[in-house]
Amino acid sequence: MAGARDPERSDLLKGTLDMLVLQTLTVRPLHGYAIAQQIEALSNEVLRVEQGSLYPALERLQKKGWVTSKWGESPTGRRARYYTITAAGRRQLGDQISSFDAMLVAINGVLRRT
Amino acid sequence: MSLLDVLRYRWRALSRPNVHEEEVAEELDFHLELEAMQRAHAAHGTLSPEDARYAARRRLGNATYYREETRRISGITFLDTVQQDVRFALRSFRRTPTFTAIAIVTLAVGIGANTAMFSAIDALLLQPLQFREPDRLMSISLTRPGPHGGPIRDDIPWSSPKFELFRAAQDVFADETLWMGSQFTVRVTDEAVRVFGEFVDSHYLPTLGIQPAMGRGFFEAEDHDLGGARVAVLSHRLWEDLFSADSTALGRTIDVDGMPYTVVGVAPPTFRGLSGQAALWMPMASSPSGWGLTNPTAHNYFAVARLAPAVSIPRAMAVVAALGTRVDATFPDPKVASVHWGAAMHPLDSARLDGRARQILVILFAAVGLVLLIACANVANLFLVRASGRRREISVRLAIGAGRWRLVRQLLIESVLLSLAGGVASLVVAWGGTRLISDLHPASALRMHDVAGVEILNYTTIHLNVAAFVFAAIVAIATGILFGLVPALQATNPSLSESLKDDGAARTIRIRGLTSRNVLTVVEIALAVVLLAGSGLMLRSLGRLLAVHPGFDADHVLVLRTNRAPLWSRDSISRFYDVAIERVSRIPGVTGVGMADCPPLVECTGMPVVFPDRPPAPPGAEAMAGVHWITPGWPTVVHVPLVRGRMFTRDDVVGRRRVVLVSETAARTFWPNQDAIGRPVSVGGPDTAYVAGIVGDVSYGPLDAAPRPDVYVSYYQAPLSFRMMLFVRTRVDPSSLANAVRVALREVAPGFPVYDVRPLDDHVRDATDYARVSAQVLALFAALALALAMIGTYGVIAFAVSQRTREIGVRIALGATSADVVRLVVGQGLALGAAGGAIGLTAAIALTRSLRSLLYGIEPTDTVTLVGIVAILVLAVIVASWMPARRAAGVPAMHALRGS
Repeated sequence: MAGARDPERSDLLKGTLDMLVLQTLTVRPLHGYAIAQQIEALSNEVLRVEQGSLYPALERLQKKGWVTSKWGESPTGRRARYYTITAAGRRQLGDQISSFDAMLVAINGVLRRT
Repeated sequence: MSLLDVLRYRWRALSRPNVHEEEVAEELDFHLELEAMQRAHAAHGTLSPEDARYAARRRLGNATYYREETRRISGITFLDTVQQDVRFALRSFRRTPTFTAIAIVTLAVGIGANTAMFSAIDALLLQPLQFREPDRLMSISLTRPGPHGGPIRDDIPWSSPKFELFRAAQDVFADETLWMGSQFTVRVTDEAVRVFGEFVDSHYLPTLGIQPAMGRGFFEAEDHDLGGARVAVLSHRLWEDLFSADSTALGRTIDVDGMPYTVVGVAPPTFRGLSGQAALWMPMASSPSGWGLTNPTAHNYFAVARLAPAVSIPRAMAVVAALGTRVDATFPDPKVASVHWGAAMHPLDSARLDGRARQILVILFAAVGLVLLIACANVANLFLVRASGRRREISVRLAIGAGRWRLVRQLLIESVLLSLAGGVASLVVAWGGTRLISDLHPASALRMHDVAGVEILNYTTIHLNVAAFVFAAIVAIATGILFGLVPALQATNPSLSESLKDDGAARTIRIRGLTSRNVLTVVEIALAVVLLAGSGLMLRSLGRLLAVHPGFDADHVLVLRTNRAPLWSRDSISRFYDVAIERVSRIPGVTGVGMADCPPLVECTGMPVVFPDRPPAPPGAEAMAGVHWITPGWPTVVHVPLVRGRMFTRDDVVGRRRVVLVSETAARTFWPNQDAIGRPVSVGGPDTAYVAGIVGDVSYGPLDAAPRPDVYVSYYQAPLSFRMMLFVRTRVDPSSLANAVRVALREVAPGFPVYDVRPLDDHVRDATDYARVSAQVLALFAALALALAMIGTYGVIAFAVSQRTREIGVRIALGATSADVVRLVVGQGLALGAAGGAIGLTAAIALTRSLRSLLYGIEPTDTVTLVGIVAILVLAVIVASWMPARRAAGVPAMHALRGS
């Protein structure tokens, strides 16, 4: 059952999704759909977050203790799970951003853009 | 906070997977709904809600897959598959009940026996003594050159005056105490109990660092109040028994050997004194005769001292030695001026077991360690056989896509489950074994009477040692897991096509596996042979020992102890002998009654013997003999033969010419090449007696010791009012008359305590217990080892047969008879046996030398034993390979040729 991947979908770089999700949660707690929306909106629709990767990612982040979740009421009146970033999650986000920055500098260096 | 959250989250997901999954589904649903709304809104009404929803769903793709993915991440899948593996393992155990049972029993025996044995060793040897800072406690004794320039005796007890001198002069001990143990009859009501008690001084409890649980200890003033100060401290146990743990016991009066004592204290629950068995403590000064407190040559007391802070052991030893010289200067040897006494110090801990008992324990522990090794080899073998049998199954599962890690995990789970079952079963074995050992009464089993002075060891404390159990369990279970896993890793190697093919190509691997199994089996057999050799020697030695004639006939003799009651004075005691003997003789079934003061086979006190017709013996060479009081009838009752001269008669009484009987050894030792009859001799006093007769030797010491010279004195000529044992020869089972004898004695002597009533056979058995127990325990271990080795051999041969089915079929088809096949298979077993036997015998001959000092009458290289082992081994191997051989011989040729 392994390896059911859709090649047409522009997957985010592995690991980057975690960083983006954590980043969206730094402002306020959000539910899954809102997280996806936020990422799409902020990236001008370039980055599209699929449910299939979003929810496993959230599950993973919870397991690692970087986010917690609580059921609450959505504006439409339905029950929705709201995710909140934890202190450990913020630290993790900081680490990820700095290593991502380092990576960008490196890649740009290779591409002779600086 | 974060870690706690993670745990809570995981726990929720794992403990209630259904709720968790519903939540995941709900979340996905909610997402879908919002997505659909968004699409409908974006399309400005051109999209119907159904279409919008459909589009959203299309974008989501395979919902089930994502749900599964979430499940996997949350850990639910892992739990599921573990459950599957456990169920599968249990099913496979049910399919192979023999394998499962053997593995569990092997583990149970290996772990259990080791735990039990180690628990005993821990209680007897390793655990610190139950006193405060036990490593600062020292045992101090007097020393004296041995007779005939023999080794110095360094275990001589103190006399009170000598110790007072020592105590006043020393500056290396913080506190020191004198004590002596004895048996006492204690009564509160009419019922008397016989207990072991200690006479101690007021320093006793403080030196050991013991606080009474109730009441007080002894006062300094009570040390000097000779004949007074009748106060007693009870053990917790005796307090419970006598007073039902009633706190008003303090101040009550108990009767100890006819004297009233006031209870002033109760000891803490586990405290049993330096004797390890005391139930009662009393001031030494209160003892009836003062036990010679003022006599410098009454060496009755053992000394224990606590080192002062910051004093090293070597320094204290030097001080003790110097003070020993000073004590000798003040109290020179009363008989021989040139004999100089000294003093020596040993850590108390080293005094708790004598060397021989220590050696037995160490040997037994080594033996049980070998059993564990064999058990491990056996478990390894079993798992190897099982794993090779499943190579094909594993290959098939790999071929159809099972993950390697998943397969390894499943095999691992099987190993762990089986090992855990074995571990649980071994707890039962360990518990039973521990109970068995403490029931053996290691004190008598290890011949504790030989221990000089101190028997601190508290064998009632033998209980299951958790550390030992954990250790043995880890070793055995790790073996199981290791050997369950190695083949699993090997089998799951990528080159699976080889294993998938039938016999042919796979054979190379199998032969390699078979070789490692062969090695394991040979090792098992060799270890079993070592144990067989050790236990064989011990059993043969035991046989020799039991065959020793003790010099008397213990069959159909009832023995009981009694003691003077205050009513009977020393002068009227002879009348008691007559009345008691006459009354007991009238009991139906009794054929003879005699009395003696000391039971055979227990070291009785020796006394110096003086020969008035010779010049005094040279220094250190005084003759010593066991001196025994008997009634005239005693030799006849226990069948001690008269060699020459005459026995005592009722007319040898006080006032008549004093006569003694001597043993053959005494006659030979004291009057070599002369006739002993009529010779003058005095024992234990100035009066001269004359030898009237020579009787056969009786073993008063251990059976394996050469008989000592013994001298017999008649009760009627030297009345003795304490230490009386009645020997009753019976026509019927002696135990059946115990009560009648009790009643009869109560009639003639109401105040006399009667105790320790049992057949003389029992005493003999007690005296041989140390040899019997060690030989039997070792034999048990050897039997276990042999059984395990047989199982191992059986496993390997059976497996080899199943692998060679086709070959055997071909042989049968070509005309081999079933006898040929049996010979082929049994031959393979014998080859294993020969290899293991040769290695084992070589090792055994090297190792059993360490048993030499424990053996009686045989050499460690005893041919009979070695030949016997070879015979047992051959037999065992034939038995183990017979069943598979028969199965192989019964293979129908066609069936075999077609292949499995």
